[in-house]
Amino acid sequence: MLFLLAWRNVWRNVKRSTIIIVSIALGLAGGLFAGAVMMGMGESMINSAIDRNLGHLQIHSPAYRRDALVSNYIRSPQKVLSLLDTLGSVKAYSARTLLEGMASSANSSYGVTITGVDPERERETTALVSMLVAGNFLADKYRTQAVIGKKLAERLGLKLKSKIILTFQDRSGEIVYMAARIVGLFKTESTAFDEMTVFVRQKDVTRLLGARKPLIHEIAIRLKNSSTLPATKARLASGFSDLKVEEWREIAPELAFMSTSVESFTYLFVAIIIFALIFGITNTMLMAVMERIHELGILMAVGMKRGRVFIMILMETLLLSFVGGMLGMLIGGAAIAWFNHFGIDLSAFAQGLEGFGSGTTLYPYLPGVMYAALTVMIVVAANISALMPAWKAVRLKPAQAVRVY
Amino acid sequence: MKPIKVAFLLLLGCVTAGLAQNATEIIRKSDELMRANSSISELSMKIIKPEWTREMRMKVWALEPDFTLVLITAPARDKGTVTLKRKQEVWNYLPSVRRTIKIPPSMMLQGWMGSDFTNDDLVRQSSIVVDYEHKLAGMEKLDGYDCYKIEMIPKPEAGVVWGKVLIWVTRKGFMQLKAEYYDEDAVLVKTMRGSDIRKLGGRTFPTRWAMIPNDKPGQRTVLIYHDIRFNPKIKSSFFSLQNMKRLRP
Amino acid sequence: MLVKLAWKNVWRNKKRTLIVAASVMFAVVLAILMRSAQLGSYAYMIDSATHLQTGYLQVQHRDYRENRSLEKSYVPPVGLKDTLTQMTGVSAVAPRLETFALVSHDSVTRAVGIQGIDPAAEDAMTRLSKWLVKGSFLEKGDSSLIMGAGLAKKLNVTVGDSVVLYGMGYHGQTAAAILNVRGLLELPLPQLNNSAVLMSLSRVQYIYMAPGRVTALVMMLDHPDEMARIKTELARHVPAPLTVIDWQEMMPELKQYIQIDNASGLIMLAILYMVIAFGVFGTVMMMTAEREREFGILNALGMKKTRLMAVSAVESVMVSFIGALAGLALGIPLALYYVEHPIRLSGDLAAAYETLGIEPVMSFSARPDMFGAQALVVFVIAVFCALYPLFFIRRMRASTAIRH
Repeated sequence: MLFLLAWRNVWRNVKRSTIIIVSIALGLAGGLFAGAVMMGMGESMINSAIDRNLGHLQIHSPAYRRDALVSNYIRSPQKVLSLLDTLGSVKAYSARTLLEGMASSANSSYGVTITGVDPERERETTALVSMLVAGNFLADKYRTQAVIGKKLAERLGLKLKSKIILTFQDRSGEIVYMAARIVGLFKTESTAFDEMTVFVRQKDVTRLLGARKPLIHEIAIRLKNSSTLPATKARLASGFSDLKVEEWREIAPELAFMSTSVESFTYLFVAIIIFALIFGITNTMLMAVMERIHELGILMAVGMKRGRVFIMILMETLLLSFVGGMLGMLIGGAAIAWFNHFGIDLSAFAQGLEGFGSGTTLYPYLPGVMYAALTVMIVVAANISALMPAWKAVRLKPAQAVRVY
Repeated sequence: MKPIKVAFLLLLGCVTAGLAQNATEIIRKSDELMRANSSISELSMKIIKPEWTREMRMKVWALEPDFTLVLITAPARDKGTVTLKRKQEVWNYLPSVRRTIKIPPSMMLQGWMGSDFTNDDLVRQSSIVVDYEHKLAGMEKLDGYDCYKIEMIPKPEAGVVWGKVLIWVTRKGFMQLKAEYYDEDAVLVKTMRGSDIRKLGGRTFPTRWAMIPNDKPGQRTVLIYHDIRFNPKIKSSFFSLQNMKRLRP
Repeated sequence: MLVKLAWKNVWRNKKRTLIVAASVMFAVVLAILMRSAQLGSYAYMIDSATHLQTGYLQVQHRDYRENRSLEKSYVPPVGLKDTLTQMTGVSAVAPRLETFALVSHDSVTRAVGIQGIDPAAEDAMTRLSKWLVKGSFLEKGDSSLIMGAGLAKKLNVTVGDSVVLYGMGYHGQTAAAILNVRGLLELPLPQLNNSAVLMSLSRVQYIYMAPGRVTALVMMLDHPDEMARIKTELARHVPAPLTVIDWQEMMPELKQYIQIDNASGLIMLAILYMVIAFGVFGTVMMMTAEREREFGILNALGMKKTRLMAVSAVESVMVSFIGALAGLALGIPLALYYVEHPIRLSGDLAAAYETLGIEPVMSFSARPDMFGAQALVVFVIAVFCALYPLFFIRRMRASTAIRH
């Protein structure tokens, strides 16, 4: 009965109810979106590096981690790769040959890490292909090909289709010379990476190393979702106790630092926004109740018990906040989904940001549980904020209340 | 140290009567004239830069293909420094601290610090014969000598940074008097000039070599051969760590 | 007259005024806190990175960045170091000579980076000595060296051992020496830990035959905000071919990261403003609805609608202004408090900070322009919300209003 009354009250003053619903809805949507922006920001930062080269997990032989020598390759890589093929959490992997050597041109030479990859696998594992500014990723017609960073090309005075000489040592210490054509140039967020990394086809270096099968120094793994990282890492570590399985945090601690600091600020800012929300709702509710003092006074004067008036107000608030909450989730969810698809171009906000691709576009996203959590928080907050004025209202003497205009 | 390889590249062997040869033959002969199973030589290297000049004198023992030992005999600061190359290992002996230090493999790839000779010039053997296609581009007179002018284009798979090398080889004696190194855009990067032709150790060849980079004014590196003995008897045991310390300049 | 009326109205219904003003006040406080935390975090990040590595400014030979060789070292002109140290805003100046070498022990040789430092000045700046895990730190004119613990492991050396150093000195001369290992540092970044060797500046200058030469003069500042001014002033004292560069040029990735973070921070701030706007708007709407009868009566009694609107507008401005001032009154001390007492982080977050040797705190900023900006934005929002009552009054029909 009370409920029906509450319901009628809500719709009786459409304007008032609408204001409250809209306040709650937009506030919640704002909070959800803010959270999504921060989470997107955190992910994008980590993803830049993971996408560029790191992957979520990397596997090496322990000897290689101590000493990056060509002879410290993984002895039975096939077993690892077979297992990776079966794991559902793995999106893609790339088994790389890593050689420390020099890149030379007629004008100068520079120390580089020559990375022998299977172009198809590498393409699925990292986003480097999307960072190409010219050419293609080892898909050209030349017999021996290389893809290098634009910065390195500048340092060596080379360009697309130029010849680049790569030198490195094979397992017996003999110096190997490799003449390759530059078929692609890339530019990432890291100048250091651009200067020091040269990609070649794994089969080309395997041939020059005089090996029958590729020598694998590093297996980089990209997961479908970073949340599966701990479980996947544990699975691999236990399956291959003689190999070193590490996550990106261990390989690049500076990155881990940045991502945790982003995380901690996420919580702070969303908390602040929620605070703002609660204040807004409280004030609105306060005003709403104050506006109804006269009406409530009459209700009590004609005999409605205080307790019931109180519950009625509570029910109204619940209803309003519920509707507002649902609406908020919808609006917020839609906004997040859209921007998640199209991305927010941050360079519009900051002058001087060069177009680096994935670095400057933000993809907001929010894990499902956050939606629920935030919505519940708002609904509870709305109700708590209505409590005080409701309480005050029912404490009034009906005679006084009626006289308020 | 690597300069010795240049010496080998440039040493003349037996002079064959200069019948008209095809380009590759000419190159091969000029390359062969530099080779020997073993050698002991004395040379100076002078590095000239706009701000400073450095001159070193050294004695080099070589036993093809695996062993080289270089002893620096001047200036006083570096006197007694020894570099030993044994197969793929390189060691340095530093007299000022009386210690031997093994040079890590990665340093091998960098070529000799400071000079205008790069790894390409110094370490590669027989590259000019095997790694290039040769074409006779005419005859020119250089320093009073009739020279074959040969255009060398690197083969696609060759680990050579140049786009093209022009080389002047004398008709009589197959001596390399000049080489011009071009990048892939046909821009001249550096020039090698041989002069001071003398008879040393039984062979006649340019004893003064200057490497002149094209884009660095006031800079050049000069290699001068003072003496050389071809195919002396050297035992491989000579090339040992203990011997490094025992050598007196 | 209008103003007097408005003022009286404002204080007539204290509760109502308080509620609206309070909503504006809290909005200002929250906006201040959020922006303060954001700006504080960037300043903290820059501060940490500059302390650990590059300093805020460096004086280098202008060709040094492209060609990091000893040939691009320089002898600081007489008096330059003193001029720099005495410059207002500069808290420390430390000279460095950086180069490369091979370091060998028994038959293991490694390529390393050599840093010649003034131990006292450097330590005051980078607090390097806190990484010491074995042995002791360098002293002035020290003839020993200290190295990263990772490098020591690779070379198989420990404190007390000797290593051979071999490199190319100034003008191509050979640099060779035997040095004693006096201490080991467990450095936070693996690349550094595996390749860093530090020695006293004078010793490096001696071994590398580079007397009096440095590759950089590193400078730390009292107030990072003054960097641009100090840089320009410095440029006047620094003769060619030397140049002054700042951390942004030395660490472009950090600069870019901060720009991205700031951009998303502005998005967050915008969202906050939106939430605030609706909160204030809702409050104002309710307030207007509550005063409907009052407006109706006034209008019926003869007050022209335009006057009513004007009074209402002035009231709103006053209330918002009070709210904004109150917000500043509360927000500024709060922010200043957090600046002095940054929030301590804990758990994984703290651990991540500590691995990089940075104190795990959430830092706040107290830039005066930030306070003003936030208060102003909220004030403007509030005034905009105040437009609603104007529309309401205009569309109001006195007869219906009175009956409410």
